[in-house]
Amino acid sequence: MDLRQDSKEGVVVLDVIGRMDSSAAPLLQDRLTAVMAEPRARVLIDLAKLDYISSAGFRILLLAAKRADETGCRFVLCGISGRVRQLFDVGGFLELFSIAETREEGVAAAAG
Amino acid sequence: MKKPLNVVYAADERLPAGIAVLSGLQHVGLMSIYLVYPVLIARAAGSTAEIAAAMVSFTLVALAVGTILQVIPIGPFGSGYLCQPIPTVVYLVPSLVAAKHGGLPLVFGLTLAAGLLEMALSRVLQRLRPVLPPEIAGLVVLFVGIATGVIGLRVAFEIGEQGMAAGPADIMITLATLAAMTGLNVWGRGAARLFCVLIGMAVGYAIAAVLGRFHASELTMLSASAVVALPDLGYVDWQFDAAMFIPFAVAAVAATLKITGNVTTCQKANDAEWVRPDMRSISRGALADGVGTVIAGGLGAPGINSSTAAVGLASATGVLSRHVAYPIAAILLLLAFLPKLGLFFYVMPRPVAGAALIFSSTFIVVNGMEIMTSRLLDSRKTLVIGLSLVAGLAVEVYPVLVRGSASGLQAVLGTSLVLGTLVGLALNLLFRIGIRRTGTLTVPLDSFDPESLDQFLERQGAAWGARRDVIERARFNLVQSIETILAGCDPQGPLRVDATFDEFNLDIRVSYPGAPLALPATRPTNEEIMASEAGQHALAGFLLRRFADRVQCTHVAGHSSILFHFEH
Repeated sequence: MDLRQDSKEGVVVLDVIGRMDSSAAPLLQDRLTAVMAEPRARVLIDLAKLDYISSAGFRILLLAAKRADETGCRFVLCGISGRVRQLFDVGGFLELFSIAETREEGVAAAAG
Repeated sequence: MKKPLNVVYAADERLPAGIAVLSGLQHVGLMSIYLVYPVLIARAAGSTAEIAAAMVSFTLVALAVGTILQVIPIGPFGSGYLCQPIPTVVYLVPSLVAAKHGGLPLVFGLTLAAGLLEMALSRVLQRLRPVLPPEIAGLVVLFVGIATGVIGLRVAFEIGEQGMAAGPADIMITLATLAAMTGLNVWGRGAARLFCVLIGMAVGYAIAAVLGRFHASELTMLSASAVVALPDLGYVDWQFDAAMFIPFAVAAVAATLKITGNVTTCQKANDAEWVRPDMRSISRGALADGVGTVIAGGLGAPGINSSTAAVGLASATGVLSRHVAYPIAAILLLLAFLPKLGLFFYVMPRPVAGAALIFSSTFIVVNGMEIMTSRLLDSRKTLVIGLSLVAGLAVEVYPVLVRGSASGLQAVLGTSLVLGTLVGLALNLLFRIGIRRTGTLTVPLDSFDPESLDQFLERQGAAWGARRDVIERARFNLVQSIETILAGCDPQGPLRVDATFDEFNLDIRVSYPGAPLALPATRPTNEEIMASEAGQHALAGFLLRRFADRVQCTHVAGHSSILFHFEH
């Protein structure tokens, strides 16, 4: 898995590329921990280039959403489609996260 | 069954009479484009204008009966969906050949026989899947599209043995008609886009009139004809020829495949929770489609087949109710008694008819390509498609290749549709030799490589010609299950993966010495998932169970085995 970090309108944008499985999930977790250490951080995770997500990946996203709630951060996902979207749907995750259709909408939602 | 959000009236819902009639008019408007086909066949047989007009009338009667049979389920007939028949290019191609070689009696006799074949095929659709996989189905549709385009060019530019007879004015009419249809389809909206072919034809007629392309005799005949009259069955007779039946048999297969696709599309359009095709309604729909063609042949009309355009119109308007069939049938029957309608199509300038065929062919060609590539392709399937395409196109470009055969067979083998399909069928059967139905992989404990698991199933799926979406689900289950077993089941030795496939089932079995993998039926809570890796493993088990159609776990003497079953 590759992680690319960018910043737009005060929002930290993380592009997750490849597979988010049990070996790659800790990498995302560490990055999110670092980014959310800032009080009231604004974070957007773009999953448009994600090929695969396993239960380990979902757990990391859940933990990140919980941390965002506790610390007043904004945490948004975008670019969920195809097989990944089906996994979100089957796992009951579509309603749990703040999800934007496009990167631009995601930045706007995270920026608030 | 859940009604999708974009549907206003689902198949089994009643609707106000006004909306039903308006929908019926829209559908008939769309169907009327194809009334040029009986005229083309009549012309190919050298028939008179009156016979051509009568053929149009009886085509309308056949369509009316076919609509009721297909859309309103009666006894064993009918899918119950708004995918009513139209005169079809599938039967146009062989009908033109038959008309030239044996006249209209041969067309009607072979059409009747083709309808009977369709009815027989409808009873064995499931068993035909290994013989008619999507690459063959797509090839047939592709060849129908190519043949339609070639016929369109021949008609538009009057291309014959002596070369091209069309003059500059004809070429201008062809291009203007095609430009109008194309422009409206690309940039038009609403009704303009929906009826782009009808409007384009009207543009062609208008330009032809301005250029004086209508003979005075044609206009006199049109104005002198009765407004209302009973069509005359006097021209109807039936003949049969075994060799000439081959292209009609190929057309019957193509028609069966088309109705199968259309009913499947209608099922999806009516049910937001659609998972897989309901073969019962598909089989009933194919039977009704075949009966419609039998009736058409019996009445002196060309073969008819379920309309993809009708399915598209229903989806676009959100009106999917089967009760629209009644006004459609009523309007069609009324039009059958208007001889001027048939004559109107008879006097259609050749460039206008040709342009309509060329325009239609484009969508059929692309549809064929989409069907062909809907499954994973390996070298076997690539060769089946490639060699069949080359064979089919060769006889169109170099007719001399079949000139040595008997004259009856020449007419049959000299079309890309027949030769290409026969080559495809033969190669498909030949290349099934050596395909192993089971693939096996060993996953060592110390080197878990998800990419290699993906590639294993991708290769197997391509060799089997499995559906892409089923292989995608299987890939997730394979990788997620092994990931979870390695992390949570303490396997004491390598994992063995066995993948087995037949046309209806894909089974993935993962076996290993170790503790069984839990596959809970209920989703763990978010708190459970976040609390520990055990929660994460429970989520994995839940997803694995939901993604497969059936799961089975066994644990005997320290050895565990999980079977994921996917219906194909």
